[in-house]
Amino acid sequence: MPPRASKRKTAPPNSSSVTSSDGRSVFSKTKTKGLGKIDRLFNSYANSSSGEIDPDGIVALCSDLGVDHTDVRILMLAWKLKAAKQGFFTQDEWRTGMKALRVDSLSKLKKVLPELEIEVGKPLNYEDFYAYAFRYCLTEEKQKSLDIESICELLNLVLGAQFRPQVDSLIEYLKVQSDYKVINLDQWKNFLRFVQEISFPDLENYDSSLAWPLILDNFVEWMREKHS
Amino acid sequence: MSNQKKRNFQIEAFKHRVVVDPKYAEKTWKILEHAIHEIYNHNASGLSFEELYRNAYNMVLHKFGEKLYSGLVTTMTAHLKEISKSIEAAQGDLFLEELNRKWNDHNKALQMIRDILMYMDRTYIPNSRKTPVYELGLNLWRDNIIHSGKIQSRLLSTLLELVHRERTGEVIDRGLMRNTIKMLMDLGSSVYQDDFEKPFLEVSAEFYKVESQKFIECCDCGDYLKKAEIRLNEEIERIAHYLDVKSEAKITNVVEKEMIANHMTRLVHMENSGLVNMLLDDKYEDLGRMYNLFKRVPNGLSMIRDVMTSHLRETGKQLVTDAESSKDPVEFVQRLLDERDKYDKIICQAFSNAKTFQNALNSSFEYFINLNSRSPEFISLFVDDKLRKGLKGVSEEDVEIILDKVMMLFRYLQEKDVFEKYYKQHLAKRLLSGKTVSDDAERSLIVKLKTECGYQFTSKLEGMFTDMKTSQDTMQGFYANHIELAEGPTLVVQVLTTGSWPTQPTITCNLPTEMAALCEKFRSHYLGTHTGRRLSWQTNMGTADIKATFGKGQKHELNVSTYQMCVLMLFNNADRLSYKEIEQATEIPASDLKRCLQSMACVKGKNVLRKEPMSKDIGTDDAFFVNDKFTSKFYKVKIGTVVAQKESEPEKLETRQRVEEDRKPQIEAAIVRIMKSRRVLDHNNVIAEVTKQLQSRFLANPTEIKKRIESLIEREFLERDSDDRKLYRYLA
Repeated sequence: MPPRASKRKTAPPNSSSVTSSDGRSVFSKTKTKGLGKIDRLFNSYANSSSGEIDPDGIVALCSDLGVDHTDVRILMLAWKLKAAKQGFFTQDEWRTGMKALRVDSLSKLKKVLPELEIEVGKPLNYEDFYAYAFRYCLTEEKQKSLDIESICELLNLVLGAQFRPQVDSLIEYLKVQSDYKVINLDQWKNFLRFVQEISFPDLENYDSSLAWPLILDNFVEWMREKHS
Repeated sequence: MSNQKKRNFQIEAFKHRVVVDPKYAEKTWKILEHAIHEIYNHNASGLSFEELYRNAYNMVLHKFGEKLYSGLVTTMTAHLKEISKSIEAAQGDLFLEELNRKWNDHNKALQMIRDILMYMDRTYIPNSRKTPVYELGLNLWRDNIIHSGKIQSRLLSTLLELVHRERTGEVIDRGLMRNTIKMLMDLGSSVYQDDFEKPFLEVSAEFYKVESQKFIECCDCGDYLKKAEIRLNEEIERIAHYLDVKSEAKITNVVEKEMIANHMTRLVHMENSGLVNMLLDDKYEDLGRMYNLFKRVPNGLSMIRDVMTSHLRETGKQLVTDAESSKDPVEFVQRLLDERDKYDKIICQAFSNAKTFQNALNSSFEYFINLNSRSPEFISLFVDDKLRKGLKGVSEEDVEIILDKVMMLFRYLQEKDVFEKYYKQHLAKRLLSGKTVSDDAERSLIVKLKTECGYQFTSKLEGMFTDMKTSQDTMQGFYANHIELAEGPTLVVQVLTTGSWPTQPTITCNLPTEMAALCEKFRSHYLGTHTGRRLSWQTNMGTADIKATFGKGQKHELNVSTYQMCVLMLFNNADRLSYKEIEQATEIPASDLKRCLQSMACVKGKNVLRKEPMSKDIGTDDAFFVNDKFTSKFYKVKIGTVVAQKESEPEKLETRQRVEEDRKPQIEAAIVRIMKSRRVLDHNNVIAEVTKQLQSRFLANPTEIKKRIESLIEREFLERDSDDRKLYRYLA
């Protein structure tokens, strides 16, 4: 993505800064200007009464970007924005996120999405993103776990592309078992570890005497029974 | 003065040469040589000891020791060769006698010779490092007689032959043997070992190999062991009589190896007479013999122990999983106690109370008692039975003995918390129905449980006793304060502290008005003295005694439950009552009401009520009447008491569930305790430590522990380590 070049269409009235070819010293001006564009972009989707982008706004944004609003890239965007509440972007989150992405227009945002995917894919980021995805879905104040239905959708969304067979089996199991009606963050985190570390579908290197959560012990047992 | 020539006297040495007789040595030797001959020819009496000694002395003094010594050797050797011939010539049995005789002669001669040559022994011999006279004499005997070609093998075979004869039952000349063996021993331990002991051991091994094979084919285990023991004792006796005591260990090893070690397995597993049969038939003597014999061989005792253990485990397992015996808990436990007594006696009488065997017994019991998950319940029922009636009339010491035995079984239980739950239930029923045979016995058992499991285990039980006592005092106080009530129905209240007694759901029913009023009076009296407490009547646990008059005037006193009383009192105001009316009036829960009516209307001998229709079961449309035709032999009739029975299936499930629920906080507390002190610990060690901590209460299930860990992670008491996924961290 090209660095943000200074775009001076008109000289601002009382700018006391020196104009030069490199963008840095005129940062303050560009900042205000850039921010302006970001804000304008924000406002074009925000709900005027709440001052935030609400679910409808997000749907609109998605269609403009040409992605489905259930696409994982929107989740990645939320991650980048460090959005606190599912379905909403506040102005601060928007500003921070857009700046971090170095975009200030819709077309730039569209172009930056593939790079965002790559960034998320980096191991350190990925773990963070993965855990974020869980927390993002917690809607209530003190909520600590997600129901099975949501977990299955989330698994599909986040891990489906890379670990299709594991995700399919896991979803199938979660739906038929009855020990757990909800999944907590600890279990969620271990799902990632599971698909990354355990060979599939033979599950040969799985050792149930280690500290795997019980739900995964049960899953492995179920898999082994199914395949015997 | 002039110099006088003095003649000085000087004493000078005798200067003329002393000529030593050149033939002196030869002459002196000849004297001595002659003496030796005479000694060997039993003609020593004519010799002068002093003269011979002097001659020998002179020889040595004049430096003829060499000649004397070598002369001695030659002369003695010559004589011994003569002797050897005479021994060889002896026929048959006389051989040994002749040998012995000649040996004695030689010894005597040797002594005399040594005495004569004592000066040489003390001076020349040490200086020239030659063998002293006595030893020389022995060595010469050894070389010329014992190791002479014709004598050596004949001597050995004669000795071995005699031993063999004795083993086959013949009587031999033991004195002769003893002397001969002693001779060999005197000649040096290597002579004894090489010329006798080694071959003796080999031949014995062969002998016992053959004999043991013969016996094992035709004897049963007990007989074989008897024979082996006899042989072993024989050999020991033989040693004592005529062999070197150092040979005892060696020969016993041979017997042990051939007769016992080589056939150990076959003996133990012998059909119809092996170890298992001995155990079954309490053959103390045979078992003791086996123990003593097997103790001598490596792995002997461990073989006995292993066979005993696996047999015991097998029998125990059958005992415990047998469906029949599970039907009667008291019988079940009694059989366990009997089995333990049996083995205790065996170990005591036959296995000299060895600790390792005791341990094997204990571990076996622990193994199979826990195979039946109802063992804790049954043991409690057994105790319940004893405390209700079994211990009636039994002396104090015997009571202690029985309770101690029960405690032994208790110790084997892995699920002690299940036992606690049942024991509490049963104790509550006993106390409330006043059915305990001996207060002292009850308390004694509580003390034993406390010693075994700690204060925690028994604090609630003791609370129950305290409540009973306190209630008595309360009742006295109540009636003292309300003298006007002395005329009416007598109320006896037991106030139970909720935490100590097993929990029951409280559903009160409607009491008859007289009782209700009385109960209220009690309640206000009690709450007057104990503010801040709440009382709830447990109408499902009480009893009542009512006087009843029936149609033909027969009077009886009925002992009934509270529910039954409520129902019966209704009939004071009505002749006929339908089920629904009764239900409405009393508000007794349906299942209890049905059982209550059934016990009063459908049981022969207790049918104080009549029911229409006369079916066995209670239907909701039934109608009830007082049975005017009720008769009983007894004035006092007891109708349905609350007795501790084996739980029905749903009740059993419920108790089990409650136990499981109770375990969860205990597991969590253990996990937190451990993690708090260790801070960081890996998964397997957590499981191991938790299991160890909870061992005295119950056997913790690793899966359950894992669940609790996850729950604690969720509640942020613990976390998983971010680098090493096997570790858990304590979050302060």
